[in-house]
Amino acid sequence: MNVGDAFKKIIIVRETASPWYTEEGVLIMSIYDFLLDRNSLEYQKSRARRGIPTGRTDCVKQNGRRNPMSRYDIAIIGTGPAGLEAALTAKARNKNILLIGSADLSAKVTKAHTIQNYLGLSNVSGREMQEAFLKQIESAGIKITDEQAKNIYAMGDYFVIQTGEIDSMVEAETLILATGLSQTKGLPGEDQFLGKGVSYCATCDAALFRGKKTAVIGYAPREENEADFLSELASEVLYFPQYAGEVRTAPTVKVIREKPVGILGDLSARTLETDGGEYEVDGIFILRDNIAPDKLVPGLELDAGHVKVTPQMETNIPGCFAAGDITGPPYQYIKAAGQGNVAALAAVNYLAAKRKE
Amino acid sequence: MVKVIHEAEFGQVKECAAAVIDFSATWCGPCKMLAPILEKISEEMNGKIEFFKADVDENPNLARQFAIQSIPALIFLKSGEEVGREIGFKPEAAVKSALQRLFG
Repeated sequence: MNVGDAFKKIIIVRETASPWYTEEGVLIMSIYDFLLDRNSLEYQKSRARRGIPTGRTDCVKQNGRRNPMSRYDIAIIGTGPAGLEAALTAKARNKNILLIGSADLSAKVTKAHTIQNYLGLSNVSGREMQEAFLKQIESAGIKITDEQAKNIYAMGDYFVIQTGEIDSMVEAETLILATGLSQTKGLPGEDQFLGKGVSYCATCDAALFRGKKTAVIGYAPREENEADFLSELASEVLYFPQYAGEVRTAPTVKVIREKPVGILGDLSARTLETDGGEYEVDGIFILRDNIAPDKLVPGLELDAGHVKVTPQMETNIPGCFAAGDITGPPYQYIKAAGQGNVAALAAVNYLAAKRKE
Repeated sequence: MVKVIHEAEFGQVKECAAAVIDFSATWCGPCKMLAPILEKISEEMNGKIEFFKADVDENPNLARQFAIQSIPALIFLKSGEEVGREIGFKPEAAVKSALQRLFG
């Protein structure tokens, strides 16, 4: 490798370290940063040169292209009325936003029969509402990143959002959670074994289950991809589709049409119980449309299953806001949109105050 | 600074009045996210609490000794005796409140 004269020596260390410079001019950086992106060496060198001593491990990837310098002002998770209104408001305030969620919008909207009390849209069907929303989003120049946030990490003054594999991470200064009503209770044993054999993200945790036997419970057809991905590493993948219709998975994935009823184990999960039998496995992946908010964002405070918010839609984590059904009843489209608006303005104010510091 | 340790060096941890070991692994996303937070807190603690990091793949015996089933796992120790643990990624405030609770 070509190293500039100013850089006599570079030490690549195994741990996840921030890059730093010793007095002798030796640059020390993490092998992970280096492996994730060869260009990160140039980037870290320039950081060190600019005297940024305690950098962080950057792994920002967008559409497969790494862009280590970008950090969104506001990341909005969810494409129901709350998320969309938050996006519209933030965009109108000229913020650099990332909107993550289903490009078809919330199923709760599209499946609705008639909506009678949404101001400006009288007696529309869910489909009509979806069309109206999409049209407005598009005309505002807002794009939906059609992915699912799997893990979100509160890093202090920014957030890291993981949508899949370890390098599929994006960063944002503020976060608006608008993922709707979280699924009713998990399976018996799910909470107990989460992180101990139970995972919500196959692409994130697949490496843990190399050569092992796994079960994947998929609540939507797109999870078939996760099962296929896992089958490349795991010795065996049992796929339990929880939806009707055809299943197209890799030939090595064994499809079992049974309903899971519980998870058993000792120190870690060992057995998936279904209405049709018991399966001894090393890992169980539960892939729902909706991850419980405190699992999605560790450290987030809930109140009776809903995200606890102030009237300004602030959560207990600074810079993290929530809006819509995720904050509790009443579950109304217009209320969700209104809260999305408040959350976006609160995030804008938060950013302004932070930048004044 | 968070010091990387191996099984043979565990004696160092026992000598600390207050210590934290971060059990982690290279392939673990939450571990990767927790690392800079611990680094920051360790700087702020300025030696009052010593921070160590052990890779579970490289130190299977140590991981077994502490019955590590899920990572990241933070083990809080007073003179080598475990006084508490936190499992999974935690934001800075949560790590600090655990330190406050356990070490005062």
